[in-house]
Amino acid sequence: MSIDTNMTGTIVQDKTTAKKQGLFNRYGHYFLLAPGVIWMILFLVVPLIMMLYVSFWTQTTFAIKPDLTVKSWVTFFSSDTYFGALLRTLRIWLTVLVLTFAIGYPAALFIGQYVRNKTVQTILLVACVIPFWTSFLIRVLAWRPMLGKEGAINIVLMKIGIITQPIDVLLFTELSVIIGMVQIYVVFMVGPIAFMLARIDESLIEAARDLGASSWRIFRKIIFPLSLPGVVVGAIFVSVMVLGEFATASALSGRKVNLLGNIIVTQVGSLKWAFAAVIGVVLTLVMAAVIIGLLRVVNLRREL
Amino acid sequence: MQDAKFLKIGLGTYTALFIAFLYAPFVVMGILSFQQGPEGGPQFPIIEWSTYWYQHVLGFAPPSRVAPLPIGEALARSITLAVATMIVSTVLGTLTAQAFRRHFKGSGFVFYLVVLGMMVPGVLLGLGMALVADQFGIPRTWWGTAFVLHVVYTYPFAFLVMLAIFNRFDGSVEEAAWALGVPPGRTFRKITFPIIFPGVLSAMLFAFTLSYDEFPRTLFTGGSEVTMPIAIYGTFAVEIHPNLFAFGVLTTVFSFALLTVYGLLMMASVRRAKVRISGLQEEIE
Repeated sequence: MSIDTNMTGTIVQDKTTAKKQGLFNRYGHYFLLAPGVIWMILFLVVPLIMMLYVSFWTQTTFAIKPDLTVKSWVTFFSSDTYFGALLRTLRIWLTVLVLTFAIGYPAALFIGQYVRNKTVQTILLVACVIPFWTSFLIRVLAWRPMLGKEGAINIVLMKIGIITQPIDVLLFTELSVIIGMVQIYVVFMVGPIAFMLARIDESLIEAARDLGASSWRIFRKIIFPLSLPGVVVGAIFVSVMVLGEFATASALSGRKVNLLGNIIVTQVGSLKWAFAAVIGVVLTLVMAAVIIGLLRVVNLRREL
Repeated sequence: MQDAKFLKIGLGTYTALFIAFLYAPFVVMGILSFQQGPEGGPQFPIIEWSTYWYQHVLGFAPPSRVAPLPIGEALARSITLAVATMIVSTVLGTLTAQAFRRHFKGSGFVFYLVVLGMMVPGVLLGLGMALVADQFGIPRTWWGTAFVLHVVYTYPFAFLVMLAIFNRFDGSVEEAAWALGVPPGRTFRKITFPIIFPGVLSAMLFAFTLSYDEFPRTLFTGGSEVTMPIAIYGTFAVEIHPNLFAFGVLTTVFSFALLTVYGLLMMASVRRAKVRISGLQEEIE
């Protein structure tokens, strides 16, 4: 009799713990997810929605009022300065994107395809990343003594005798902004491409070679298509960073080249919140279009 | 075949030049940090080699017309902020990645929501947060509005690192511990944590360095008490001096020290795991 009650007692107890565990199993991951999701909604989604909302507010001299209007939007698209900045941002973004790809791809090809030793591969990639340990802003500023009229590049070129007069379009021009950005962001292109190239099955290339394919044909038909997901990931990284840039432009152009990011900074500085918000929304739309366009090229979810 | 060899040499030379290109500003910074001071500017030629600007950064140089960098306060703020960001984003990243170990409804939404945090440019997020703070009367401070944005930025990195770690994680080890009646807390401490430790360390490293160098988000939300990157940005408008380069060299050396510590911890953790496995094998045998 006593054994019986004991047994039922344990059974009942087991049931409650099982129920507890079941509850945790069913809803446990919501507890795990909640902090992160709440954080992101409060501090990422809300600010972005606020930006969209404020872009329709009325701007007075030093304040904004929640009376809805499209005045700031009209100003943006009817002003040459601001619309011009949009075009300039797009032009610089496209130039930097093409250059990072053209300059980065051969290096990635060497690291990913021609270096077959994994350790050497890692060492080369780490060597590319080490300059990132210097503060971003100081790295940008270090381009000034490189590009200036009496800068390192001009000194070297004059010493070798390639030029007799120093080139003065190197600094404080659009060119200097492009050089600076390419150098800073090219690694984000090299990394993903090298990663994809290193994953290519070598027997595939050997088979093609045995069947008599030329090196160029192998590259065109096998290597390049297989590295395309890496190119797209790299292009997304570079695009997002270049489109949101303003520091490189203000440091290397002497504030002559104004990107959308620079205009946001000046507008916030003069408390033109509604207008800054308009530019922010424009920038977001451009970026979304670029990313969606790039994702059209390759289906990343399937490829990675 | 001759062709392929030629191509390989060509690409190798190109890669060497490419890496040189990546290091160029770094080398220039290193050379110019030894410029003579306080008259020597941040340009060539070097008037005379000296360590003046290092003394200037560290506060040993006699006062001159060049204002000292606000090393003490700004650096202390930056490091405090980076440590706080590191802790919070690693914890959040680990929790979220742990939840992703099983399939659940809406996982795609959560994934993109988190990853969005590293994709949205700092200038947009900074602007949005500044607008929110302005409208709701929240004071903009480096430890408040800027801190939450730093976490938004670094938490996705921690999450992705932990996700990669958990993907390679054999869940049956934990199940075995549970089946043997080890309480969950102890299982986590004795089994789960040692296995995921290298990932946690990488996540922390990512979060710390990203936050330490973060600047567009902080620019709009950091308020009047500046962090180190904002202090450097402040010098953009006025004349720059080689003390910035000396500071750059010092922080890079500091980063290397940090990276070395990380490498050593990583190696130690791998070795400990190996020893433990061989010990277990001996016991079984």
